[in-house]
Amino acid sequence: MELLTPSGGTIFWTIVTFSGLLFILYKIGWRPLLQMLTEREKKIRDSLEQAEKAQSEAEKMIQQQQMLIQEAKQEAQAIIAAGKKSAEKAKEEITQMARQEADQMIEKANVEIEKSRNKAVDEIRNIVVELSLSATAKIIESSLSKKEHQKLVRESINDLGKLI
Amino acid sequence: MLKLGINRMVEEHDNAQHVAEHGVADSDFIMHHLLQQPVIKLPTVFGIDLTITNHVVMMWVACALLILAFAVTFRTNTIVPTGFANLLEAFVEYLRNDIILPNLGENGKQYAPYLLNAFFFILLCNLLGLVPFGSTATGNISVTAGLALLTLMVGQYAGIRTHGCLGYLKTFIPPGTPFFVQIILVPVEILGLLTKHFALAIRLFANMMAGHITILALMMIIFIFKNWLASVFPLFIMIFSALLEILISFIQAYVFTILSAIFIGRAISEEH
Repeated sequence: MELLTPSGGTIFWTIVTFSGLLFILYKIGWRPLLQMLTEREKKIRDSLEQAEKAQSEAEKMIQQQQMLIQEAKQEAQAIIAAGKKSAEKAKEEITQMARQEADQMIEKANVEIEKSRNKAVDEIRNIVVELSLSATAKIIESSLSKKEHQKLVRESINDLGKLI
Repeated sequence: MLKLGINRMVEEHDNAQHVAEHGVADSDFIMHHLLQQPVIKLPTVFGIDLTITNHVVMMWVACALLILAFAVTFRTNTIVPTGFANLLEAFVEYLRNDIILPNLGENGKQYAPYLLNAFFFILLCNLLGLVPFGSTATGNISVTAGLALLTLMVGQYAGIRTHGCLGYLKTFIPPGTPFFVQIILVPVEILGLLTKHFALAIRLFANMMAGHITILALMMIIFIFKNWLASVFPLFIMIFSALLEILISFIQAYVFTILSAIFIGRAISEEH
């Protein structure tokens, strides 16, 4: 059958044509194309790598920032705690001082009161002495009866009561 | 009505008789379309008839189209492809990543142009067979034999290049077998190698030819019955067959390429 019989001429032409095509397309198609594909693949890989790197860097940065924020927070808390402590201390001190001062003042006032009372008592005593002296003088001036004597004493006591 | 039906049946019977008488002439028509016809007669050199046939011309048309496509598309070497370049690149990238690299590995990258060339050349030859006034060069056993021969040669070249001449011959000896088994197995291995490439040629040829025989035979139905009613059904099947042919054009180009890649890959691999 002619259909299944290969002819040498056509095989020859096929090989020649194919080789020629391979030669030409290698120059204008396959080499630049394959090169381009490799290049592009490399470029994409590089870009991806770069992006990954950038992302990891950004993540690191975020972590750092978070750490910084955490630190700042802790510091702030420490400061606040220290402030509170010192405020408490100051408050206690002030209260202590105020109490001491008040105590001192009270003591002073007590002392003063005592002093004035003593003074007053002394004065009263003096007055009493004076009065009794004057009363005695009066009694001596007019010889006194018992009745008069009683009257005088009562008077003087009354006077004493007025004086106090 | 009944009479009309009977008349038609008689007519069809006559037609069938006509077919029986002229059947040989009709199948000749099919053969005429499948066989190559000389276009330019050239002398025979060293026993090779250099006559340019229509199939050779179709191969040249395919070459011209491919060269034109690549020349126009890749005039400027840009890293970002557009339009048609995208389409070509999609094919090339697919072939490179899914056929060539898995089968050949990094060492076999240099054979990528051959495989790409084979794919596009066969694909275009297949598709040009579907164009009116075209003929299928790949439906010619000589063309597919030439292509298979090229794959065989590239495979042997690749094997010798990788392993060295003696090293490549050693890959035909299965390791770990006694000597008397090797005597049997070495010819079997060589025969297997040749058979694989022979099958490569037959596969492409038969697939491409069969599709055309189907279409032509369906077309013949119309001429045989000489009845417009008989043209409706074959017409639909013909359109379907033609669409199927487009699919087969791609599949066969793919199959030829992947098998070539496997054969070359086997030749350059360490263990045979």
